[in-house]
Amino acid sequence: MKCDELYRRLTDRADGVLDADACAAVDQHLQDCASCGALRRDLEDLSRLCRESQRPRMPDDVRRRIEALLRTAPV
Amino acid sequence: MAATRPASPDVREALSRALVDHGDRLYALALRVTRDPDLAADALQDAFATALERAADFRGEASLGTWLHRIVYNKAIDLLRRRGKEAALPDEESIVIGPDDDRLSQSPSWSRPPDEILLGAETVAALERAVLELTPMQRMVFEMREVEGRTTDEVAEILDIPSGTVRVHLHRARLRLRALLSDHFRKARA
Repeated sequence: MKCDELYRRLTDRADGVLDADACAAVDQHLQDCASCGALRRDLEDLSRLCRESQRPRMPDDVRRRIEALLRTAPV
Repeated sequence: MAATRPASPDVREALSRALVDHGDRLYALALRVTRDPDLAADALQDAFATALERAADFRGEASLGTWLHRIVYNKAIDLLRRRGKEAALPDEESIVIGPDDDRLSQSPSWSRPPDEILLGAETVAALERAVLELTPMQRMVFEMREVEGRTTDEVAEILDIPSGTVRVHLHRARLRLRALLSDHFRKARA
């Protein structure tokens, strides 16, 4: 497996859509290739950063407007 | 015009519960599409009004939350189009990052930084700026997957695109963000 194919398959690997042979090929390449191993670690850090970052919250006035809509609007 | 009638108490109750359970995520989705808090609020209100009107169309194949996400997404896109903002968004096909891309090949690999650096305010701000560099679809897919933790199939259902296409957008988004953030991480380690 070449590095460009590994790039494409990392997401497939994480999503569980690769068969066992393809998974093994990805894992082997990650073990053998320092550059792709670093890529995987970087992407894992990126994922962690995203998961733990603060998400926007719905402003209270928007929530109140929708609550009023749900109470009173005809359909 | 068809006569209006009050929505059933069950529908109002279910949507009120969905507002509690999914409200922040729905708002985040609208904000992600529009990048404008006022438009995001309008999209959300329009979406709940539509959900009330079309409650009878909800068949339960998807969860109520997923159904609402799809309505919010469509409303946000409609609002953008109506306000003529869509043209300002970058062309989806104009940004392709691959292994041969200069930004990627020149990106140094950063070793795993400690959490206090990785999660520092400066890094988070850099991430927020970098995410805005993605195409609209990449941004949507990336944030629904990586920030909200939705599955690929859920994202595909909300956006009405194949799961394989979701993975392609996610793959491109991840590589682009890695390239865009590499300098920041390198400085954080220094």
